[in-house]
Amino acid sequence: MRWLASELHTHTLHSDGRQSLRELAAGAAKLGFDCIALTDHNTMSGLGECEQVQQETGIVIIPGMEWTTFYGHMVTMGLQNFVDWRKAGRSDIHEGISMVHGQGGLAGMAHPFRIGSPVCTGCYWEYEIRDWNDLDYIEVWSGTFASVKPENQRAFALWTERLNAGIRIAATSGRDWHEQKHTDEPLSVTYLGLDDEPGTIAQQAVRALAQGRASVTIGPVVTMEAESGGTLYGIGESVSVQNGADLIHLHVKIDFSVRQTLWELPEQDFSLKITGNSGTLAQCAAGSTDQIYEFSIPADGHIWARAELWGIVKGMRTMIAFTNAIYIS
Amino acid sequence: MMLLNVAGQLDPSDSKRHITYGFQLDQPAAVMRIRFAYWPKLLEDDGQAMEFIMESIDSYVAPEHQGPIREGWRRYLPLKNLITLSMDDPNGYRGACHRHDAEQSLFLSEQEASEGLMPGKLALGEWNVMLSAHAVVTERCSYDLSIWTEEADTA
Ligand SMILES: [Zn+2]
Ligand SMILES: [Zn+2]
Repeated sequence: MRWLASELHTHTLHSDGRQSLRELAAGAAKLGFDCIALTDHNTMSGLGECEQVQQETGIVIIPGMEWTTFYGHMVTMGLQNFVDWRKAGRSDIHEGISMVHGQGGLAGMAHPFRIGSPVCTGCYWEYEIRDWNDLDYIEVWSGTFASVKPENQRAFALWTERLNAGIRIAATSGRDWHEQKHTDEPLSVTYLGLDDEPGTIAQQAVRALAQGRASVTIGPVVTMEAESGGTLYGIGESVSVQNGADLIHLHVKIDFSVRQTLWELPEQDFSLKITGNSGTLAQCAAGSTDQIYEFSIPADGHIWARAELWGIVKGMRTMIAFTNAIYIS
Repeated sequence: MMLLNVAGQLDPSDSKRHITYGFQLDQPAAVMRIRFAYWPKLLEDDGQAMEFIMESIDSYVAPEHQGPIREGWRRYLPLKNLITLSMDDPNGYRGACHRHDAEQSLFLSEQEASEGLMPGKLALGEWNVMLSAHAVVTERCSYDLSIWTEEADTA
């Protein structure tokens, strides 16, 4: 499977970014990305030059828009037509999400716990959510060196709590990238697993996210497959178990070869964890070479599992990468 | 030809409110121009700003992380008013200009438009311009907005 290195939250001069789409895409290419979602605030006018910029830079551009409202920021992507962001009151975001879905788009919470108005207007999510199945994803890692930021840890915890409640919802990273400025802080990448179904790469990428086929990292990409009853299941899929006593075998692969020279982690023993609804299900040490790790977990009592890679980054022990969930039913 | 020329004044209670103005485009035009300005942009009163910031921290930061953030409250200065503009032509949305500039001179035409707005026909009929007051932090915030058209260059 091809894993597309994606940056899913960006801005240009068409809203409050300080870069053209061309500069943004060229900058993304330099940083080893294959794909960006253009998510300007409340406008899709920046997509006028999308085709040309894709051709010039080789970067796949997913059309999108960040609903930048009074009660929250919601990233939408994969839709061709505008959906009106201005009508949503605090208790009717679901109408908005339905319209986004109606246009073939996805909707995700952007930086849900960033400090809100008036410091950052509408940045904290205050919309009432009546049905979590309606939302496609949560941007759990926002900005650079995202994993150490308390507001992102809250978002990550929210995601885990939703998974525990039986909701199938994806998690992504987004730099909320406004300008071409060098940073020494680690950049997050959301890898989207492309299928072989028809469509453009941008459409395959959107479908990957819709199906939760995503893995997030600041360095090596971690992917996982589950094996049960002779069948293999990928990230985002649901393992069907006949018998609660069955074991599910997990094959977790760490690939250090991605975006080579564009990220750096100190040589160390990483820690690879399998997490699920009952907490840490398994863990082992992992070195800095490409390898596949095998785990077996009991199916009984488990409704989801994901892999997490932990280690020391800039002197801090933190999460380095995580897969989206594989579900168990 | 002047299509709309309005002014208004907002206060903090207008935060999170949209203000819509309708206007009529009756005659074909080559360019529509929009000038929008609001002032003041910044809340200069640090005492007042501190109150807003502390309220934000109370509401939005997890209790266990509030301490250091309260101490560093000055990094959120200066607090700003933010009013953004979006447009609708008789057929639908024509874009938004979500940015912090307190003075914006914008245009729309068939081939080109200011960033944020969408080029396209200047259709005759009822247009709307919407001001979205994301935040008003100063005691008063004044704005003016004018929209006019220019004829095709007949020279
Ligand atoms: Zn945002
Ligand atoms: Zn953003």
